[in-house]
Amino acid sequence: MTAEPPDASLTAPYSIEFPYNRTVGEKIGTFLGGLRDGELYGVRTASGAVLCPALEFDPATAAPTGELVRLTPSGTVTHWTWVPTRPGDDIEADHFAWALIAIDGTEGALFHAVDTGGDPSRLTAGLRVAPRWRADRVGSIRDIVCFEPVEA
Amino acid sequence: MSTPPTPSTPPTPSTPPTPSALPSPVESFTSPHKVDYTFVAGTGRSAFLRGLQERRLLARRCPTCERVYLPAPEFCSRCLAELSEPFELAGTGVVKTFCVVNFPFPGQMIDPPYLVAYIQVDGADTTLMHLVRDVEPADVHIGLRVEPVWCAEEDLDTSMNSIRYYRPVAGGSDA
Repeated sequence: MTAEPPDASLTAPYSIEFPYNRTVGEKIGTFLGGLRDGELYGVRTASGAVLCPALEFDPATAAPTGELVRLTPSGTVTHWTWVPTRPGDDIEADHFAWALIAIDGTEGALFHAVDTGGDPSRLTAGLRVAPRWRADRVGSIRDIVCFEPVEA
Repeated sequence: MSTPPTPSTPPTPSTPPTPSALPSPVESFTSPHKVDYTFVAGTGRSAFLRGLQERRLLARRCPTCERVYLPAPEFCSRCLAELSEPFELAGTGVVKTFCVVNFPFPGQMIDPPYLVAYIQVDGADTTLMHLVRDVEPADVHIGLRVEPVWCAEEDLDTSMNSIRYYRPVAGGSDA
């Protein structure tokens, strides 16, 4: 059909898809419900610490976690990696960072994008950030578009 | 390029919420995993696929270990030697193992139950996977002799679908 050499390699478009649906559990479900309401929640462990993101079980003791705690939606970048924007990303800057963000007053770290307007020099461990909320939220981690720096 | 930061509400101190103040929990979410990619057949397997378009099963032999590959890559996976020029096999073969698919699943192209088998084509040392039809699943067994049922001329393609399925060789004895 085409003028390709007779020994050229054939190619074909392929697509593989797994349409998973997962249940989330009571604590994570409330955490996600909080995101839908534009609020950040953590969960208290037996030791009194608050975990964010919320977990059903305390990773230190495997005991069920306790009450949910509404948090101040701000945190500190502890680790980050700079990445180019990929197709499908809706952060408008050309580049952003994936980061581990310690939410104030909690243990653990929330993994999310940080938008510094395409400027990697603004990113440091210790950068203070806050969520940029999506207008129409559904109860998903994507209800937070990304985190962005806040003035100290 | 960046959007201005959304004016955030002043931080509110953490207040212990009463149970009624908690958000109603989300119960589940979809977590689809999808990958779009380009399959590159390579020159060796492309020769096999072009043969299928002509109703020919083209195999290649390793010059070192004599292993015959169908489908054949470009190099022997054991010796790394470049395989021989393609040569044609008759097409009949033997069921080496098989599976009856009874389960429906998303994206399934064929109504279950159907039978998928590893078929060792006569003259080859490797197996290829294909459907076995025109037979009751209960009558399929390892060692069953089978032959390919090819597409109509206009449907032939550089694809495994050029063989519609395998079926038992009429009057064939077991291998």
